[in-house]
Amino acid sequence: MIPEELQLSSATKDRLFGLLVKGVLGTLLLYALFPIYWMVISSFRTRTEITAADPQLLPVELGQIPAIVQDPALLLEILHYENYITMWARFPVLDYFINSLIIATTTTVFALVVGCLGGYAFSKYRFPGKGGVGGALLGTQMIPGILILLPMYLLFIWIQDTIGFPMTNTYHGIIFVYTTFTVPVAIWMLRGFFDTIPDSVEEAARVDGCSRIQALVRIILPMAAPGIAATGMFVFLVAFNEVLFASILASGDVTPFAIGIQSFETQTTAYWGEMMAASTVATAPILLLFVLFQKPIVEGLTEGSVKQ
Amino acid sequence: MASTTRQFRRRVADLQLGNYLPFYSRLSEEQRFAYKLLAPGLAMMCIIHFLPIIWGTLISFMGVDSTYARQWHNAPFVGLENYLYVLDPRTVIGGRFWFSIRQTVIFAVGSLVVTYVLGLTAALVLNQKFKGRFVARTLLLLPWVAPVVVTLLIWRMMFQQQSGIINNILLSIGIIDEPIYWLIGDNTIWTLVLTHSWTQFPLVMIMLYAGLQGIPQQLYEAASIDGASRWQKFRYVTFPQLKPVSAVVVLLVMLWTMINFTAPYVLLGAQPPRAGQVGILYIYEFAFSNFQFGRGAAMSVILFIIAMTMAMVYYKYLFDDDFTEDSQ
Repeated sequence: MIPEELQLSSATKDRLFGLLVKGVLGTLLLYALFPIYWMVISSFRTRTEITAADPQLLPVELGQIPAIVQDPALLLEILHYENYITMWARFPVLDYFINSLIIATTTTVFALVVGCLGGYAFSKYRFPGKGGVGGALLGTQMIPGILILLPMYLLFIWIQDTIGFPMTNTYHGIIFVYTTFTVPVAIWMLRGFFDTIPDSVEEAARVDGCSRIQALVRIILPMAAPGIAATGMFVFLVAFNEVLFASILASGDVTPFAIGIQSFETQTTAYWGEMMAASTVATAPILLLFVLFQKPIVEGLTEGSVKQ
Repeated sequence: MASTTRQFRRRVADLQLGNYLPFYSRLSEEQRFAYKLLAPGLAMMCIIHFLPIIWGTLISFMGVDSTYARQWHNAPFVGLENYLYVLDPRTVIGGRFWFSIRQTVIFAVGSLVVTYVLGLTAALVLNQKFKGRFVARTLLLLPWVAPVVVTLLIWRMMFQQQSGIINNILLSIGIIDEPIYWLIGDNTIWTLVLTHSWTQFPLVMIMLYAGLQGIPQQLYEAASIDGASRWQKFRYVTFPQLKPVSAVVVLLVMLWTMINFTAPYVLLGAQPPRAGQVGILYIYEFAFSNFQFGRGAAMSVILFIIAMTMAMVYYKYLFDDDFTEDSQ
């Protein structure tokens, strides 16, 4: 056994434990944030700097800091912001962004409309087959996308050939696929938010002469706005990040960012600097929105898993 | 006037639906409203989820290849031939398919272990009381919120053999003597596991964190009175109490990793090395580069069945284990 005088007192133990917690937290933060930091740093570097054998961890050398503090304009010389200018001409980044915005925003709107209706029905009413529908909603999340993509591809081609209505490489084709993909998730998340609104609200609105649909649109939906925003952000991210369907069904003029950004790495050269500049432009607004609206988003995500 | 209209409407409803859909007429007005609200969502799910699954299964029994891509319905019915072909380990395709299934299992189990350990550690740390833990929680969630295509490409850049920062740091600390090939050769599957875990651990963290918050404080007080150490509290209070949430986390991470396409597709680039071709990526390459839709569909069905079987076995094991009773 450890002799008496060498045993740690409980105060010392607490302090050591506190240190351990801080150390682990620091390591985790470093691990979580370093790649994001590296993206931003790399976006300000030239190709030679990025492919150098000994990349610098800091954007500026420590010895340069006093000079920069004296003359901030020097920063513009050290940090190469050229990537942010050349990328637009070298790759159709603007088109990618616009395509992604059109696809993801429209998907979000449609999925929210359908999801609000379904989620509300799920939260407030009992009806035969409710359990089955719930299971089906969750079941859709377990299906490998490729199993759906193959028939979907054949269907799109068949529609084009027989009816003559273009489906592949169109906005409406991919938006339709994404909307349906995200509706089950949207219903499930929104159900959790509607659960938090008491049933008496609808009853009161009904007593005041609203029809059921009026009660939903005029009274309930405004109350659920934070939850709807959170679900909307989630749906937007899913649509923004999707690559499986996009790589087959949305190329050419409707290529979204998620597919287009990969073309920065060509057979012969990788334009990492430009790629990271475009990535930074795409990531910054999303991170900002998340930091602003994180409370309902985090609640919406954890709701289903913990409540069972 | 209004009441006459309503009566008329009701009569019409009784006439039509009462006769043709006896089930629907028996529903209360509230239940009918619920169905109407759900109808658009369900209709869309039928078109995109359930019909294609049936159709995909149908195609897997047909010889749909490049000749029939534009007229799949004329393709010959070949019975189980597609299945037998892709499951036969002696053919090149079959052998590679089995290999890809193996890689899928490594990918799923590996990612599960890494994300669970990271997620639990982070959740436990966040559950301590310290200043700025809200900020810390936000920052730790960022890897999951940042667009995953972007983060995968960042990791691809960092894993470059010559210029990548990861090899550079490992070399300068002295852990390795030679730059490692992360994105070619047999290491690829582990690169995939590490990267995917980075993008997914915040989700596990936040779910487990919510679970930790739900553990009644009295249990810890009781444990303190019994003189339990920190480790004992974790071992006998926290961990068992987290079991229901952990069960959900394990199931979701396993399934979502098995059917994940984005991570291997983006991280491994245009020419994915053999070792990184997990099931879904291999099916994709095979089906769309050779237009072998019938065989591709057969592989997809097999992948789906494997994922579903694992989920069901796991689910059954959970309920045999009666975790719900323990926690109450």
